[in-house]
Formats: sequence, C-alpha cells, structure tokens
Amino acid sequence: MPHELETRVLLEHAEDPRLRTLDGYKDLVSGYATQERAYKDMEQDEVLKELEDSGLRGRGGAGFSMGKKASFLPRGGMSKYLCCNADESEPGAFKDRELMQRNPHQLIEGIAIAALAADAGHAFIFIRGEYEEQADILDAAVAEAYEAGYLGTNILDCHRDLELVVHRGAGAYICGEETALLDALEGKRGNPRLKPPFPAVQGLYGGPTLINNVETLSNVPRIVSKGAEWFRQYGTEQSPGTKVVSVSGGVRRPGNYEVSLGIPTRDLIYGLAGGPLPGREIKAFYPGGSSSPVLTAAEGMDLPYSFEAMAEAGSMLGSGSIIVADDTVSIPHMALRTARFYHHESCGKCAPCREGTNWTVKMLERVVRGEATPMDLDIISSVQENIMGHCLCVLGDSMAMPVAAMVRKFRPEFEQVMAAAAGGIDPHVVVDAPPETLGATV
Amino acid sequence: MSPVDGPGVSSRDLPVDRAVTEGRALSADPEQIPQLADVDCPSELQARVEELMGRYPDRKSASIPALWAVQERYGWCTPEGIRQAAAVMRVTPAYLESVASFYDLLHTEPVGTHRIEVCTNISCWMRGGDELLDAFRAAAGEDEDDFFVTGFECLGACDIAPMASIDQRYYGPLEAAEAGVAIEQLRAGAEVLPAKALAKRGLAGDSPAPGASSIGGAI
Amino acid sequence: MSDEQRTVTITVDGREIECPEGQMLHDAAREGDVEIPVFCYEPKLGDPVGACRMCLVEIEGIPKLQTSCSTPVRDGMVVHTRTEQVKHAQNAVVEFLLVNHPLDCPVCDKGGECPLQDVTTGWGPGKSRVIDEKRHFEKPIELSPLVAIDRERCILCYRCVRFSQEISEDAQLQLLERGDRTFVGTFDERPYVSPFHGNITDICPVGALTNYTYRFRARPWDIEQGGTVCTLCPSQCNVSLTIRDEKVKRVLTRDNHDVDDGWICDKGRYGFEMFEAEERVTGPRTKGGDALEWGAAVEKAAAGLRAAGAGKVAAIVGDASNEEAFLLQELLRGALASPHLDSRAYEGPDRDVVLELTQPELAAKVKDIDSADAILVLGADPLHSSPILDLRVRKAIRRHGARLVVATERPTALDGGAEAIARYAPGETSHFIGELTKALGGEETVATPLAETLREARKVVVLWGQRIDHDSSFASTRLVELAKRLELDATEGAGLLEIPDFTNARGLREAGVLPDAGPGLTETASGRSVNEIRAALESGELDAVVLFGVDPLRDFPDTKAWDAALTAANFVVSFSMHETATTAKSDLVFPLETHAEKDGTATHPDGRLQRIRPAASRPEGVRPNIQVLAELASALGHDTGVNSQPTAFAALTNGVAFYNAITDDQLGGLGFRWQDGPSATALPSSSTGAGVSSPDTQRFSASGEDTPATGLLLGTYRDIWTGPVTELNPPLRFLQPKQRLELSEGDAGRLNLRSGYEVRVSSDHGSVDAIVQVKERIPDGVCFLSEGIAGANANALLNGGPVRVTVSQPERIEA
Ligand SMILES: Cc1cc2nc3c(=O)[nH]c(=O)nc-3n(C[C@H](O)[C@H](O)[C@H](O)COP(=O)(O)O)c2cc1C
Ligand code: SF4
Ligand code: FES
Repeated sequence: MPHELETRVLLEHAEDPRLRTLDGYKDLVSGYATQERAYKDMEQDEVLKELEDSGLRGRGGAGFSMGKKASFLPRGGMSKYLCCNADESEPGAFKDRELMQRNPHQLIEGIAIAALAADAGHAFIFIRGEYEEQADILDAAVAEAYEAGYLGTNILDCHRDLELVVHRGAGAYICGEETALLDALEGKRGNPRLKPPFPAVQGLYGGPTLINNVETLSNVPRIVSKGAEWFRQYGTEQSPGTKVVSVSGGVRRPGNYEVSLGIPTRDLIYGLAGGPLPGREIKAFYPGGSSSPVLTAAEGMDLPYSFEAMAEAGSMLGSGSIIVADDTVSIPHMALRTARFYHHESCGKCAPCREGTNWTVKMLERVVRGEATPMDLDIISSVQENIMGHCLCVLGDSMAMPVAAMVRKFRPEFEQVMAAAAGGIDPHVVVDAPPETLGATV
Repeated sequence: MSPVDGPGVSSRDLPVDRAVTEGRALSADPEQIPQLADVDCPSELQARVEELMGRYPDRKSASIPALWAVQERYGWCTPEGIRQAAAVMRVTPAYLESVASFYDLLHTEPVGTHRIEVCTNISCWMRGGDELLDAFRAAAGEDEDDFFVTGFECLGACDIAPMASIDQRYYGPLEAAEAGVAIEQLRAGAEVLPAKALAKRGLAGDSPAPGASSIGGAI
Repeated sequence: MSDEQRTVTITVDGREIECPEGQMLHDAAREGDVEIPVFCYEPKLGDPVGACRMCLVEIEGIPKLQTSCSTPVRDGMVVHTRTEQVKHAQNAVVEFLLVNHPLDCPVCDKGGECPLQDVTTGWGPGKSRVIDEKRHFEKPIELSPLVAIDRERCILCYRCVRFSQEISEDAQLQLLERGDRTFVGTFDERPYVSPFHGNITDICPVGALTNYTYRFRARPWDIEQGGTVCTLCPSQCNVSLTIRDEKVKRVLTRDNHDVDDGWICDKGRYGFEMFEAEERVTGPRTKGGDALEWGAAVEKAAAGLRAAGAGKVAAIVGDASNEEAFLLQELLRGALASPHLDSRAYEGPDRDVVLELTQPELAAKVKDIDSADAILVLGADPLHSSPILDLRVRKAIRRHGARLVVATERPTALDGGAEAIARYAPGETSHFIGELTKALGGEETVATPLAETLREARKVVVLWGQRIDHDSSFASTRLVELAKRLELDATEGAGLLEIPDFTNARGLREAGVLPDAGPGLTETASGRSVNEIRAALESGELDAVVLFGVDPLRDFPDTKAWDAALTAANFVVSFSMHETATTAKSDLVFPLETHAEKDGTATHPDGRLQRIRPAASRPEGVRPNIQVLAELASALGHDTGVNSQPTAFAALTNGVAFYNAITDDQLGGLGFRWQDGPSATALPSSSTGAGVSSPDTQRFSASGEDTPATGLLLGTYRDIWTGPVTELNPPLRFLQPKQRLELSEGDAGRLNLRSGYEVRVSSDHGSVDAIVQVKERIPDGVCFLSEGIAGANANALLNGGPVRVTVSQPERIEA
C-alpha cells in the first residue's frame, strides 16, 4: 500500500510483475489502447497539441517542453528519427531504471505515439550498457510488441511503419548528452556536437530527430488517452504532472517515489525516504542530481519540489534526483567525489571541460590532503567560473555549479578540513556543522 | 639574424636525425581496412556483426554492438578481434579501437572472466562503497584470470547503496563481508547473493514505512 | 553554397566589414583585420568542430559567448572580441590549454613558429596558477618513420585526426581513450603510413607532431622560405622551401586552391633529400666517368651530334621545364635539322587528336572537380599518378556530394567512394571507351551502369590517364567522341583533365616536343615517334640521341629493345639528375637542376603555367640547363638568343602562339591558365575535325572461362613509390616497394598460390620475381605488376601491346 504522499501514475501497478508482459500491461492498465486510438483516429497535429497543452516538461534534466520540441521537427518526406534517452548516468538518478524494469511496454507505447507526433519511422532506445538487465527486459518487450503488431510495418493496418531498436551503450555518461548520444548511435565516440544545428533540425544521420527521456516518453500514453487537463491536475502551473523522484544518500529508505510535482521537499526526504539515519542530521542535499548546486537543509528543505522553485533557489530540479548529505559527510570530500566523476566522464573534446575538471580534481585532492591554502579555494572558485558558459556542452558546468556552490556555502568547513588534514587528523572525523546548516536541526 | 648573443649556430653543428642519414625503418605493418580473406574471422562472429549492421540505416552504427560481440567472443576487445570486426564492417581497426577505448565497459586490455564493478560514487561512497571495493579486492586477491574488480562511477542504483555490478547484474545493499561470499559463489558457479539481487526487490514505497526520524518528521 | 552569394555587413569591434553571407565569423573578422585566436579551426579540414573554445566572442543579442569559428555571419551582426567578458574567456581557455602542456619550448622544434606560443602571448593571462603535476607520456616517439609525436605537447585540437578521417580518409590516425587521458594514436601502435600523412605536421598548432627530417636542423630566425612548384609529379603542387645555408631543409605547403588545395603528398614533402644523394650528377662527365670542364663538355656534345649528321639525331624529353623543352626542339629542328622528337614513353595520338584534346572548351580546371556533379576516373589511379587529385576527388564526394564512377584495369584507391566501377582488360581500353560512348547514346553495353550515373549529371569532369594509350589501343583517339557525347565542350565546369606520365607533359607538347607538331602545336615536317626512334637507333637509321630527363631503361616498356637501341646508337647524350641505368650507357652525361634550383615555368595538366623559382644553391658544377642548351645550340651554329630565364621565357612565349600574351608578372605566385588569356584563340584547329576514329583494336578477354592455359593477361601500373625518390632518399627508403603480383582469389586458387608466396612471372620477353598478393576487386584472368621497380621491373615483360604471363614458383621447381 503506497504512502499517502505518493501519487502513482507511471508506477501504477508497478509492484505487479505481470505488468512487464504485454498481456499484463493490457489487463492492468489497458495498455496499447491509446496507441491504437492515436494511430487509427488521430492526426499528427492532434497528438502534438495534446502534448503541448499538457505542459509536460522533459524529465531528462533540461526540463524543456516536450510537445514544443516535437513541434520543432520540420514536416516533409525526409526520414526522421526518435531517440529515447535511457542513458541515465547522472549520480543520484535511477528512476528510468525502475520505469524500464517494471513497465517496459508503457515506454514502448509512449515511443510509438511520440513517433506519430514526430512522424518518425525509426526509433532507438539508447540504454546505458550497465543496465543489461533492463535492456534484456526491453528486448523481450519490444519483441512482444513486434509480434502483436504494435511495431514494424503497416502497424495496426494504419499504413504507418516504425522500427524500434534497443541500442546498448558501453559505459560513458556523456552519451546522455543528446548530441553525444547521436554520435554514439552513429557508431562514433560519444562526443557532443556543436549546436546549432539542433537535433530537431539535423540530428541522427543528418535527419530531424526527437530526443526524449524515458520518463518523459512514459508519460505520453496517459496524456494522449486522458488528455492535457487530466495531466495538469497534478503538479504546479509550471511543473505539471507527477515525477518519479530518486532519493538516496543519508536517508532511511532510499528509493524511487512518484509524487505530484510541487509537494514540499521535506515530504520527499522525511515523509517518504524516512529522513536521516538514526542519530544523524541532514546538512545539505543535491535537489536534482549531482550536477545541481547543493542546497543546505535550511535553504531547501521547505521548498516546493518543482522546476521553478528549485531554479529560484539557485539550483535545479534536473532529473529529479535527491542526494542527501548528513552531518557525517565531509563536504570537501563530497565535492571531490563530484569533481572526480565529471573529470572521469568528460569526453575531452573541449578544453575548458577537459582541463578544468582535471585541474579542479587535483586542487581538491590537495585540499583534503591538507596540501592547499585558502588561496587555492579562491583559485578553485575562479576555475569554476572559467568553466561555466565556455564549454561545448554543459558537462563542464555540471561540475562547476555544484563545486562552486559547495566552496561558497561551506568555505569554513573546507578550511577546517584543510587544517585538520595538514595537522595529520583524519579530516573525515567531521568538523562541527558550519552555521549555515544549523537550521535543519531546529 | 639570430637575436641571441654570440655566434648563431650553423646547421653543421646541429644534430641530424637518422631519418636523414640512413632512414628509419617501419616498426610494424601499417593497418588499413583489412581484407576479409586476411583475418580469418570466425563465421559466427562474422554472421553476428553482419546481422547487427543490418539493424541500422548506416552500418557504422553497429560499431558498439560489434565490439560487444568481439568482447563476448574473446573476453576483451583483442587486436585480432577488432581486425576481424573491422574487416566485416569495412572500417579501419583504428576506428574501432578508438571507439572501444572511449567506453568504460569495453576493455582494450585483458580482464578477468568475472567483472565486478563496485560503485564508489557519491551515494554509495556515503554508505561505504570504498570499504566494499576494498573487500572485493581482498576477496579476489591475486586471481586476475577469474576476477576483474574495479571501482566504478554511479551505476544508477543509489537506492541499494552500497552496491556492485557482478557480471552485469546488480546487487545491494552489500555488507563488506558479503564480498567474500560472492567471490566464493562465483568460484563455485553458484547463484550469487540471491537475497541481494536488484531484480528481486519491490518498490521502495511498498517496503515497511520507516519511523521517520522525529526531529524532521515532527515539523 | 549557392553560386552567387549575397554580401552582408557586420560590425566587429566597431569596424564595419563587408563579407559574403554565411561566411564564418572568424574569417569575416580577419578580412576586417580583426584577429580572433583559434586552435582547432582550420577551414581546409571542412566543417568546424568548436572544440578548443579559443575563438569565443560576444555577439550582441546572444547572452552566451559564441565560437566565431562556427558562427556564420548574418547581416547587421554586432560582434565584440575584446570586451572584459571575452578577455576573461580567452585567458581562461589559454590557461586551461596550458594546464597539461609541458612548456618545454626551449627544446621544442616548433619554438618560434608555434601558434600556441603566439596565442599565449597575445591572448593569455600572462601568468600561470598551475602547480599540479602534468600528464606524462613517453616523448617523443615514432608515429611513423617520418613523423615524431610528443603527446605531452598535444592540445587535442582534433586537426591531425580530422585530416586522417576527412581529407586523406585513411582513418588510421585516431583519438584513443577519453577525457584528459585522450591521446592521438593508431591501431595497436602501428606506424601511421599514408602518402599524405606529412600534412599533419603542417597543421599541428603545437610541437606535438614534428618531422624527423627537420628536427633541430634550424631555428626559425635563420631560415628563409622560397616559393616554387614541386615537379615530382604532374600535380605540380605549390610548395614553400625552407632554406638554411642555401640548402633545402624542409618543404611546406603553399596553398593554391586552383592547384593543390593546400595539401602536398609525402613524395613532395620528403623527396628533397635526394638532391644531396651520392648518385646526383654534379657535373658533365664522359662515359668512362671522367669529369669534364663545361666548355669541353659542350664542345664534345656538339661534335658528337654534328658527327651524326643532319636528320640523324633524335631527342626524347621527360623531366624538363617549358623553356628547356622549347630549346631542345630548337636544338633538334633548328641546329640539327632533325624532326625526331618525342615526350612520351610509348606511342601516343597524332597531332590532330592532340589538338582536339587541347581545345579550351573541352578542358576542366582542377577547381571544377570541387563542384562537379559526377566525376569519371578513366584509366588512371590518381593516388599513384597524381596524388593530390585523389584528395580533390574525395573532397568533391564528401563535401559536394559528387558522384564518382571509375573505369580502370586495376582497382583504384577511389573505388570505395564509387557508385559504379568497370574493370576492363589490358588492351581493351579503346574498346571500352567506345562501349561507354555507345551506352551514353542509350545502347545496352557493358558500360551501361556507368553511363546511367553520368547521364544524370550535368557537370561531368573526366580524369583520364595518359596511360590509356599504354596498351597501344589508340584509346585517346576515342576520348574525343566520349567528351562530345558527354557535351563537355558545351557545359561550364565540365571537361577533360589529363593525368600524364611526365610532370610537365603538357608543357613539353605545347613547346613542340612532338614528332608531328612544333611549338604551339603547329604543323611541322613530321619526324619519328618514340618507338620509331628506338627502332631506328637499333637499325642504324638514326645515329645519335639526346635523352633529357628520361630513363628509358627503367621507365619505358620493352627494356630489352631499349637496351639494344642504346647499345647500337653511336652517340648518346643524357641530361640527368641522378646516375641511372641509362646514364651508364651514355657517351656523355650532363647534370640537371632540381625544382629547388631551377628557374623556369611548367604547364599544369589543366593549362596553368606555373613558375619554378630557384630557392637553393646548385651543387657547384651544375649550371642552368637553359644556358647549357643555348650554348650547345650556338656551338652547332644556331643562335637561340637565349642567355637567361627572361630571354628563355620570351623565346617560349614568342614560339608558342597561345602563350604569346602571358607575362611573368601574370604568373605571379599562383600561375595563370593560358586558356583564360587573349592568345588562347591562337590554338590551331584540327584538320580532321571531331570524331577522329581509330582502328578497332583486337580484343583481349578478361573473363575467367576463356582465359587460355597460356596464362594471365598482364596489366601494369606505376606505383607512387617507385624510383629515385625512395631509392636515393633515405627518409623515404622504407617505402621502396617490392614487386607484387596482384591477382584474383579465383586465379590464386587455380594456380594454388597464396599471398606472400614468392613467384617468377614470365612473358616471352623476360621474367621478374614477385611476391603474390591476392586482392579483392581484381577480375579473374588478369594480374598486375608495377613498372619501374629496380631489379624486378614489369617493363621487362612488355612489348607495347598487352602480354600474357605465366607464373611459376622457383623454390617449388628446384624442390
Ligand atoms: C552531460 C549530460 C548528461 C545527460 N545525461 C542524460 C541522461 O542520462 N538521460 C537523459 O534523459 N538526459 C540526459 N541529459 C539531457 C539530454 O541532453 C536531453 O536534454 C534530454 O535527454 C532531453 O530529453 P527530455 O527533454 O525528455 O528531458 C544529459 C545532458 C548532459 C549535458
Ligand atoms: S597532435 Fe597536434 S594536431 Fe593533433 S590533436 Fe594534438 S595538437 Fe592537435
Ligand atoms: S577555433 Fe573555434 S572552437 Fe576551436
């Protein structure tokens, strides 16, 4: 029995293993009825309109209107493509995994309907290579869908064709960036491309391409069947709908929780995820994955969990992944972990990201080894500034934003850790929580 | 004229590389697109790669899947395997090696049969990922033929932190002690940590509600 | 890009700049003298990649800084390149690029001519805040026997790897690993070998890729650059020679979009060491090898030729400038009353056909390849015969979507990009061209698939090899009909472009070195052609021969016959750069200048006259050839009025009517096509008019089944790496080709041969040893050998027409 704070729409019946099969999907949530209706009785523009009116925002990080993006694709005979972004590799994010594992057909139906809206004849699910279990599940489901005639040629006798290929990545976070994903799909190294041209105009194999996240596309069937109004009953004006939120780190019950956007962040962290571990206090958290600037508990705990509220607070909702740091966590070490990730994952194509992530890691390593001076903290901050807005894609910024925020908000702790390490004390024996974070415990 | 003080060096004083005097020799054969006839590609591998190429509008899209196939066949992306795939795909081996070396899961160096990737990223690190990695390293010991143990970036399973991917399947949350158990089960060819397999977990929201810590919940 | 482009006005740092719409902002700014620093941007490499971020600028109306290398200009754009925001970005990028750069400038070859140094001083922060460890690589290591790579210095600008992917398309040079671990490398650490790979040393903006041939041989401030033309192949690429102590130390590109597009091949880049070779002829000498003082040498030559008597001297000319060629025909026709002149290695078309093929409206410019709708490669493999055109064709396909069709005996390097390919058997060239012409007229023939592509195209450029005449099937006579059928004469941007054997073949012809045409292709008393000369020397009808820049014993078909001819001749004078089999049989040997030493002009196959300028000093004992020839003529009582390059050039332009109006200034640095000048109309027209028809030649079948047991039909080609350039030139020695017998899998099976086997290939003319190479895309019944390979020269097996060969395995026979 789900917690009253949860609103299970995408995760409806997700606890039931039968949902994974085509029959189960049909019985439990009358699956594929919407695709059938859309293919048989709906025009491309009707579908587009429904999606645009719903105000569905991308769930992959950028939060751009899905319907609008689909409407950017030029009309005409050229071959167009649809790519489902299932690369989910941002630290803290694991919601797409849950959706694919428990309800693969919901995604496939969403893709089939979105393909109608984008007039795409070829679709791909780019799934990170680590998710082999989920890729196998998708392969099986796709096979079922072909078998049942929801994919392939002349689908449901509507003279529409759709080929769907599950493409497994091989381990590179950058492939989640939409243009890098296209290069990877074309068989190249996953390097981001210059924009413009944007994928909607010139994407895969040079053709117009719609790229959406797993959760975004999983929302499509219900929006088209129940309508934009129904969808807007959940969430806020600017953040309509429900969101599967991944909560992890220093909480008692980490996991994915589907909530109506805009509920208090506290309900997610305390109400659903059970709050901090016994005897601990929450110091700070990433509201939207490791690339979102951390908020101190005081800053963030009582904000509505919505795109707009997080943006106003100087952070972002991103992919909707909360990582909680409690008072045993050394922020400088967390900054280092964060930087190391982006350094490891930087594709190396552009200089500011390639060298900036590398240099930042080296400086943070000196910080936690006690081999740095307060001046290095200034250099770290200025290097983050030097990265921001200067890169080919936003991977560089994705490190610069949180790291800069941590140095700004927890500078005393950085200095204490430096001093401690220099004095031979294990900096992990965590320093008193700096003033900014006390609020959380009041 | 030379801006430096004193007499400028004359070319006679400057060293001349042996490329100029006797010429340098080729260290090995350059590698262009190999002819199929010259690589004796196993027929299953050739068939597999051709089938993969068939899935995409452009054959080059098959490069990552083809490299997966090579890795399945040989345990890692061996130069020979890369040449074979390259010959079938009509691309240079250099192209495929370049692609392979970009991705963390494709190995251009030999690795052990069982691949254990322990997440050491933020959430797992907070929950003891580093200790878990050490435990696996210790348990696997010197046995590099059977085990490849490595720390890994976020595997997308922070809900079961600390966790590990063992032969491409997820397990967590793991106690350091369970590392040894898993290694033994792998050695014995038994099912690995059945109770900790991600596949067997329910939704977090359906697990028993945790008495939310009073401090926060109270407000 | 549309043909007529709109010009727009933009403002950069307050300056108004007029530029074509869509031009990249960086380039537009430069035209307004605003320098925006770049590293990864190099227009020659195609589309920008926007990787280095050095070129960020502020564009009003756009919040984020934009990369000017990838931003097309729009009318009214207002751009700032020196605001605080931009300076901040520039400092940041420079600082980042240096985080991992070793700053080992004092021991770096690039020092002083290094874009990284320049940009750092010009746009960098001026101080370094980096105290952390930099990444380490073994340095420098061999990327190839010619290029060293220092990975620590690499700034990962992508230039070299893009060259390998998108220009030479060999895809051997790649980026390996990821992020800041990325490095430039090859598969399995193999050497990077492609005929063009030296270009990466020109485009690398740091000291990461350097030439072993230049390492530490000079400092930038004690060298000079001299512009000239590379005469090692008909591409006639423009080059800039790095001169120190009056010697060539390095060859760089000298971009000429009309000729080479800013690239050169490795032959041209590394071939200069042979100027210093032991084997270089450094002064006149007798047969016995005694050095002669110049006066005596000229006298001896005059005496020998005089002794031969009027009409009994012949000349064969290969490597020569227009001026030298003109003087040579003066010498023969004027001083020796001998019309026996040729500039070809085998029988070619007669004057009427030459005139037809020279008509300006049938001619294609090199640049026309870029915008061609379709390209027909006929009887040549550009990679071997005119390398830079191979790149040009690839560019046309890659960037303009040109459709390629290939019709050759032997598989070519361009086959991969071709829509249709035809393989005809040696001896069938003429027949095939006939079939293609018919197919274009709608008939069903073997050539129909090619015709279909060609018919759909408006602008067709035909790249044809002079070699099509090699099999004596009079193929070039058929070319005219084909050209007319394709309406090349009626279509702007379409036309024929010849790939000749000799670098300056066109210049030699037009200067009058033909048996039946004088200067300007005028009608003359006709003399003997190359094969007739050979026969006449052997039979004694001709007495003496002047061999200028040719080595018949290596380069001409039927080595045995040539050997007999030179043995029989009473007096053989050779002008040669190096000692060769031919100079060894000569009574008198004169040295030749290299293109680094020579002063003169050459005519590109597309009609462009280009200036060869002396940049290096001649070995003492070597004199300007034009002077030697002029003196020789006057010693024979004929005054040419030539005593210097200007006077020689004047004599040439007076002699060749359609060169008349061309001035030295006009040639300038980039040359001038005579077809574009007023005197082009002075080209004589052919007497027979269009459609010169040829005797339909005997047909040789290439198809497996009716291949008689007597063996395989032999086709030959000229490998790019044969000859002195690899034999006398240490840097390129590793490329010296072995003789390979290329045959089909089918025939290999029948003869139970495998790649790598050592075999003896014999015709009834002779035999050579070769290594078997089973090759895809070779039809059954045919096999191939390369000409000119020392010790195993395919020319030894030839006798004009196509021959059949048998293959045996010596060690098997012994065993
Ligand atoms: C470095 C980087 C990594 C990204 N990773 C992902 C990812 O794993 N999954 C995803 O859906 N979007 C990811 N994105 C966002 C995509 O670029 C793109 O915006 C998104 O897939 C669009 O789908 P949506 O509009 O449905 O969110 C990433 C972006 C960047 C810059
Ligand atoms: S080697 Fe030179 S050209 Fe190649 S990427 Fe590095 S810096 Fe650029
Ligand atoms: S020159 Fe523009 S990004 Fe490199």
